[in-house]
Amino acid sequence: MPLSLSSKSMASIHNHTPTTTTTTITNGTTPTDHDHEPNETTQTHLPKKPKLSSPFISPSEIQSEFSHHDPNVARINNGSFGCSPRSILAAQQQWQLNFLSQPDHFYFNDLKGGILQSRTLIKHFINADHVDEVTLVDNATTAAAIVLQQSAWSFREGKYNKGDAAVMLHYAYGAVKKSVEAYITRSGGFVIEVELRFPVTSVDDIVTEFRKALERGKSDGKKVRLAVIDHVTSMPSVVIPVKQLVKICREEGVDQVFVDAAHAIGCTDVDMQEIGADFYTSNLHKWFFCPPSVAFLYCRKSSKFCDLHHPVVSHEYGNGLAIESAWIGTRDYSAQLVVPSVFEFVNRFEGGIEGIKKRNHASVVEMGEMLAKAWGTNLGCPPEMCSSMVMVGLPACLGICSDSDTLKLRTHLRDKFGVEVPIYYRPPKHGEVDPITGYARISHQIYNKVADYHKFRDVVNNLVGDGFTCALLMDHSVEGS
Amino acid sequence: MAEDSRNGESTHNQLHLPKKPKLATRFISEPEIRDEFSHHQHGIARINNGSFGSCPGSVLASQRGWQRRFLQQPDYFYYNTLRNGILASRTVIKDLVNADDVDEISLVDNATTAAAIVLQQIGRRFAEGKYGKNDAVLMLHCAFQAVKKSIQAYVTRAGGAVIEVQLPFPVNSEEEIIAEFQRGLAEGRANGKKIRLAIIDHITSMPCVLIPVRELVKICRVEGVEQVFVDAAHAIGSVKVDVKEIGADFYVSNLHKWFFCPPAVAFLYCRKSSSLPDVHHPVVSHEYGNGLSIESSWIGTRDYSSQLVVPEVMEFVNRFEGGIEGIIKRNHEEVVKMGRMLVESWETNLGSPEGMCAGMIMVGLPSRLCVMSEEDSVRLRSHLREKYGVEVPIYYQGIKDGEEGGARDKDGFITGYARISHQVYNRLEDYCKLRDAINQIIEDRKICRMLLTE
Repeated sequence: MPLSLSSKSMASIHNHTPTTTTTTITNGTTPTDHDHEPNETTQTHLPKKPKLSSPFISPSEIQSEFSHHDPNVARINNGSFGCSPRSILAAQQQWQLNFLSQPDHFYFNDLKGGILQSRTLIKHFINADHVDEVTLVDNATTAAAIVLQQSAWSFREGKYNKGDAAVMLHYAYGAVKKSVEAYITRSGGFVIEVELRFPVTSVDDIVTEFRKALERGKSDGKKVRLAVIDHVTSMPSVVIPVKQLVKICREEGVDQVFVDAAHAIGCTDVDMQEIGADFYTSNLHKWFFCPPSVAFLYCRKSSKFCDLHHPVVSHEYGNGLAIESAWIGTRDYSAQLVVPSVFEFVNRFEGGIEGIKKRNHASVVEMGEMLAKAWGTNLGCPPEMCSSMVMVGLPACLGICSDSDTLKLRTHLRDKFGVEVPIYYRPPKHGEVDPITGYARISHQIYNKVADYHKFRDVVNNLVGDGFTCALLMDHSVEGS
Repeated sequence: MAEDSRNGESTHNQLHLPKKPKLATRFISEPEIRDEFSHHQHGIARINNGSFGSCPGSVLASQRGWQRRFLQQPDYFYYNTLRNGILASRTVIKDLVNADDVDEISLVDNATTAAAIVLQQIGRRFAEGKYGKNDAVLMLHCAFQAVKKSIQAYVTRAGGAVIEVQLPFPVNSEEEIIAEFQRGLAEGRANGKKIRLAIIDHITSMPCVLIPVRELVKICRVEGVEQVFVDAAHAIGSVKVDVKEIGADFYVSNLHKWFFCPPAVAFLYCRKSSSLPDVHHPVVSHEYGNGLSIESSWIGTRDYSSQLVVPEVMEFVNRFEGGIEGIIKRNHEEVVKMGRMLVESWETNLGSPEGMCAGMIMVGLPSRLCVMSEEDSVRLRSHLREKYGVEVPIYYQGIKDGEEGGARDKDGFITGYARISHQVYNRLEDYCKLRDAINQIIEDRKICRMLLTE
């Protein structure tokens, strides 16, 4: 199937789309008829720009693309759930309708080609060698289950010995840690966590700790079978020097390296040849504008023991992970199918996705420094070790003393002040005086405004001024109340 | 930001329809039904509800409402709305299927996922040495292909044996099924195998037959089968489902096939017992270890909206006379009527007695079509879709060597069957279109091998 623009492929699908007016685009914008103009972009509800003026999307167009976001919320948490512009949501609805309109035809004629097209674009973007190496799944959590299930089989089938190790970062994502427990610990593997200091002062801190963890894994004649390395940790958020760590893994004879890069695509540089891991996953719905949810899982062809399967086994079992994952029973695959539309969307920005990344990074650092200055605190890492998110210390007088305090404070900020931002609890170390124990993880995405961060700044300053501490917050024992 | 969890506010998500007064005794009208399914491609005789199901416009609108709320403020949705919404859906299902406890009801994507959950658990027992090479899993010969592959992936790979029970088709009575099943079970045990899990379809897919599951589950218990998993992908919304009566350990049915949910959502019932099987969702996330239903309600960021509209679907079905039971009854009556109409026109036979079908029935195709292979059946199906605008799956029934009792028509053996479905949006014209298409192909003296497809 030749690579084509999404608009062309949309046109071929529209041969089977009834010209019905029940197409509803989010927030009630006028549905437009895609059928008759196959060469236009799918973002047909926006006025066509004359080519001589700015070729790039304007600030008001950007605001319009995200007008479905709650306007009363300073949404500085793109990192958790991502975002998707209206034109992509509209494209997604079109795919959904195509399926609902005549599902058998869609299944036999449109689905496979659409997924292949998405995978092909990703393959080029991440510099993979071959499209077979690119699989689409729901999210990084699913990708982790796929990789770890394979490790579990290796233990069970005797390829690995009981007590062989898997190494992961202490700041690995909670769901991944559980997955490691479910698949590795349960099948006899031994798990080693790499301690990381936070705040981070330099890349060397991370490298040193990582080497130590590998040493532990290799003691007593055991082998390190798998290293699970975050590209951009979640909480606290730091960009990890993955390329360096992968190299160390190769030097030290680690069998497989899995990079959990949930945040990476659209947020930091993602080059499979550069990074050199065996497995690499990133969510496309976090920083790459896809609707919930879709992630890619890259599996290097030359890897040792590469027998990965999707855990939901269906007709395509045994035909390769990418093909297996393209059909795991009847479901809505539309989030996987809009990837071509997303590439078109990002190319409306100056510098494309690279431009977006650069500007997000610069803005989040600027805003982070503004907040740290206003509050008299510090950032959690040097600016070059953050991407589109940064950890900003909260004033110590807020009295953040536990994980539960961070959740309470976060809820308070949301419910009382309309600020959405996750908070991290950093336990004080022995001997520290007046330590900063709470960090806000601020994100910057194209829809953010300076006003969002000013709102946050002022809310915190007012809380400080009012003598607020977390101890004053009631326990939210009943959700939804 | 007051858009809160459901709390019984059921109509505010149906954006397109005026709020119905609760005392209305008027049932949904024909034009309203047509309007609900107006997004179905016009000009297609869509007589294959069985494969991918269907979803009315008002439920799709509700779904969009849920999606919009998530996109609007996802953190708020995650912390305040999602869990209650899923619990509300699970509670509706629990009542509908007569489960004892809502903990027994998990929502997953589809029956394929449920099969992976049940079989992974079996696979782990082999891996952990609880089961050995004399332990087996039993399935029907016509089990859904995806389930067969799942057995391969989790049981065969782990060293377990697989016993297949061949069921007769065409079938004349429930007794035939029961006898064959009993025989297959006994054979398996005679070979020294202990049957750890029996997988029984409630309604087989191809060929489609309504299986007497209650009886088969009883036989399994009597014969000491350790666990019984009923794959009832088609059942809910197509037959009455009472999980206690059926008595299986696991029971799964897709809600997007015959129960009007958008793609995709299924419920997996896991009977609470003293020896609780150690089932987990394969996509492990934060809730690992908190019970399958809780694990399944968060498997990472994704669109859970199809799981959240179940209460709205109940409202939809209650607009019909007799609610879901009325729909089930009328679909069954109509599909049998249409089946008979086709059989009369083609001079063939039905694949099962009318008591052994639900909303689908197998209709013999004239032998003159010469359906001689799987490929022929696929070719015929594509030809019907592309040339005649008829969507219907075709089943190829090979004749065994020396078999006498195969169904025949005046020209030869009947080797092909069409699986016709009837759902609320179907009309007589749909089936007439199929009837005429087949008759035309025969009149043109075409056989399957000759049919052109795009």
